[in-house]
Amino acid sequence: MGNILWMPFLLPVLASPFVYWVGKKSGKLASTIVVAITLFNIVILLTTIPSVLDSADHKYIESYTWIPELHSSLTFFVDGISLPITIVTLVLITCGTLFSVDYMKGRKSIGEYYFLVCLLSVGLVGVFITSNLMLFYFCWEMMLIPSFFLIGHWGYKDAYKVAFKFFIFTHAGAVFVLLGIGAIFIVTNDLDLFSAKAALLTASPDVVRWLLISLTGGFAVKMAIVPVHMWLPDAHSEAPAPMSALLSGVIISAGAYAIFRICLETVLPAVFPSGFGTHYLYGLAIFGLVSAFLGSFVALVETDIKRIIAYSSIAHMGYVLFGFALFPFEVAMIGTILHIVTHALSKGLFFLSSGAVMKELEIRDIREMGGLASAMPVTAFSSVTAGLSIAGIPPFACFISEFMIFVGAFQVINADGFFLIPTILMLVATVFSLAYSLRYVSKIFLGQRKIEKVGAAGTWMRVAMAILVVLIVCIGVWPGIFVQLISTTQFIP
Amino acid sequence: MIETVDVLLPVMVCVVLSLLSLVIFKRIRKAGRRKALLMVAWSAGAFTAIAASVLNIAVKYYGAPAPLPFLGFSLTSGPDAIHSSSFLVDAMSVYVALIFVPVAGVIFTYSLVHNGLEDKPSERYHALVLMLVGATLGVLFSGDLLTLFIFWEIAAGGSSLLMLYKNDISSMHATLKYLIMIILASAFIVYGLSIVFGISGSLNFWAVKVAVEGMADKTLFLLAFLFIVTGYAIEAAIVPFHMWLPDAYTTAPASTSAFLSALVDQGSYYVLLRVLIFVFSPPAVFDWRPMLAIFAAMTMVVGNFLALGERNLKKLIANICIADVGYNLVAIASDTALGIMGNLYFFLVGGITTALAFMVVGIMNQHGIKSLEDLSGLGKRMPLTSLALLVGFLSFTGIPPLAGFFAKYLTFTAALQSNMWWLAVIGIVMSVIQAAYLLRIIMIMYGRPPREETRKREPRLLLVLVFTLAAAIVFLGAYPTLVLDLIDKVIQQLPLMPA
Repeated sequence: MGNILWMPFLLPVLASPFVYWVGKKSGKLASTIVVAITLFNIVILLTTIPSVLDSADHKYIESYTWIPELHSSLTFFVDGISLPITIVTLVLITCGTLFSVDYMKGRKSIGEYYFLVCLLSVGLVGVFITSNLMLFYFCWEMMLIPSFFLIGHWGYKDAYKVAFKFFIFTHAGAVFVLLGIGAIFIVTNDLDLFSAKAALLTASPDVVRWLLISLTGGFAVKMAIVPVHMWLPDAHSEAPAPMSALLSGVIISAGAYAIFRICLETVLPAVFPSGFGTHYLYGLAIFGLVSAFLGSFVALVETDIKRIIAYSSIAHMGYVLFGFALFPFEVAMIGTILHIVTHALSKGLFFLSSGAVMKELEIRDIREMGGLASAMPVTAFSSVTAGLSIAGIPPFACFISEFMIFVGAFQVINADGFFLIPTILMLVATVFSLAYSLRYVSKIFLGQRKIEKVGAAGTWMRVAMAILVVLIVCIGVWPGIFVQLISTTQFIP
Repeated sequence: MIETVDVLLPVMVCVVLSLLSLVIFKRIRKAGRRKALLMVAWSAGAFTAIAASVLNIAVKYYGAPAPLPFLGFSLTSGPDAIHSSSFLVDAMSVYVALIFVPVAGVIFTYSLVHNGLEDKPSERYHALVLMLVGATLGVLFSGDLLTLFIFWEIAAGGSSLLMLYKNDISSMHATLKYLIMIILASAFIVYGLSIVFGISGSLNFWAVKVAVEGMADKTLFLLAFLFIVTGYAIEAAIVPFHMWLPDAYTTAPASTSAFLSALVDQGSYYVLLRVLIFVFSPPAVFDWRPMLAIFAAMTMVVGNFLALGERNLKKLIANICIADVGYNLVAIASDTALGIMGNLYFFLVGGITTALAFMVVGIMNQHGIKSLEDLSGLGKRMPLTSLALLVGFLSFTGIPPLAGFFAKYLTFTAALQSNMWWLAVIGIVMSVIQAAYLLRIIMIMYGRPPREETRKREPRLLLVLVFTLAAAIVFLGAYPTLVLDLIDKVIQQLPLMPA
């Protein structure tokens, strides 16, 4: 195997000026280029599957010199966890771009739009495929600037204000991440995740405790855990639909992934002996529980088509955080990582379908909609798929992952009685998610038709949604390869 | 081998060029249509000469790295050498000189073109600027406290004349304020120096350092130290001595502000670094780190809050300069290798970014855009100028992959390393506030509808210069090794200093 992993990271950067130039003339051509690059990157990542499955340490790593003075190098890697998430990210970028062809029709500055999508994809992919903390932070912030402009410029009402709120919240979180990264650098004199892990074990537990708190707090903002979730409902609902799909599908998942990769896998082992680790996990469980409940409740009473989905994202990040609290039990961890993947796909589809509805209707209150199923069959079918998947109904993707989380939770209860009540409460919360999903679908697509003239969604919109529907059902029926990949990882406390 | 002539050459070249410019500008002014071309050629020639004289030192120094922490030169030899003016060459002075010259070159070219658009090009202005560059380079290579002081006062005096360039009532007011502060500061410094000289019999960095460490009763030294540091603190605009800076930078022409922020401001940190870390290094006189940390926190907070409440774009950037003083102080206060690395990186990045911002503001002011409200919709009316400002602002905020990120990362990590986590937390919180007010401006530029639809003509030549700096910001942010390699030499020399 040669040097290939730099491509998902650098190709979009290199292509971005070209995309901008092309996009000024033809939006369709620009989106074709973006899709082509993304598909190419998916192929690149797929070729690493054998080495992840078969190599001794189940990783594929390549490294380039960058800033030796700060112990930073361009280290790219994939393992059983980052590979599925990265592939799903690229799939969502592809679908979002296809969706944009129709969605952005008639809008201004299309060149800038695809240029920013290119830059955004660098950050999104980079976060998952680097093991160097400096590069990680680069990508972490690279998600921010393009998102700011994508929300601000092409969003709905007061878009720039919403984008501003989004930026300030997540940037405030990011600087605490930076503080944690700086602390890791000081303590270990290293910025590589895998070698820092060993060095942290010998560090003073007191320092490690604080840096763990700082990092987790920073990531929790991106993940929109209650009480730092305030940016999410606004940002996700005012952003243009493809952007919402990426925000809810990938960007908050990046927070979840980072908590797993950095907080749990790298830093947490250093504080387990002092007993702080257990309390930390309890804390995660409680915050996860609160997020799941609050998110589901608000989603149940919200009437804005996109805010329902946005609050459901808060709820689902709550599930993920709860799942992380069960670290290091294997079934639960596999379930949680799988849930990041399945939730990303389902939520992406959910937002795309709502975008299709909004594009046609230009209203957002679900009480004014109804009976759209006959006019927009593909969109309706996609919404049902996404809704049922989010609600955790078989045979859709999220069922498998939620099921595994709960199986894991019951295993953990045997070892630690603390988790009994939270697990039961989490089960109650899943009922709410079924309730708001059904309410969403029935209010919009079933019942009396309230608006007469409604056209079907654009062709490319339907294609984008169809791809996601197929994937969600496939993973729901046969999660094999994903579970196989994820389970190559050993979860060591 | 480096000779005294080599060390003095950059200063002498600047002086000669400064005198030459008085003659040459009379010619250029008569040239008519080819004026702009001639001016750019002149500035390119002048700065090639200065750069050559600095490179001469750099090549010779790095060609044969000395085992000593620095190479000292005195104007007179023999037993009197200890009393004579002396110069030094070490990795730090060479590095700072290397980064100052290109930045100064870009700003100088800008000032030629920019002032040329406003009024007739004034030969005195450019003679002064070159003199200022020479004085700053002199500061870098000074080997004793008095030489440092003299060159620094030349720089301060030159700056005040540059501020006065517009010659209206507000600039006179600002200059007067500046001059009073500077004179006060120099009185402090001279007083401190006289005490130091009285005790140690020399003002040479090296001799003073040895004398301080050998002294049993350090009360007098403490007094001298406080005088000197207070003096330089005033000139570096550390809160609570910051009042002169916003006025001075706002009333001066944009090119002057760019010069002051990129050279004089960064030069003042260099002076602090030299005096605090290389001469009075803790705990020789007393441990000044906690004290400086408090001042750093105050400066960051005050600078950023002043900027937060500011409606005038230029004054806002001047306030960011105060905040930058605070960030630099954090690095100095940490007194670690990482901190010095951060400082030296900040010299370059802070200089480039503030210069970029002032240069853009200069372009905007020509179109009557002064307050934040005037900026609304500017992203459409002046896309390139706005883009340059965007790059500058994001770099100020500390967003990767722009250079400002590494500057902040290094300084705050240094604070963590020396166990001042509270300072790092204040720093990052202030950094978020900075992000807030800068992003608000970006929002106004890109989010609000423009006041008038017409697209403004953007001066191409000036934009080329502005984008040179913007490219440097992006490049240094994505690949900082280029500069960190040079800084690494400085860090390697640190342990060579006698403890």
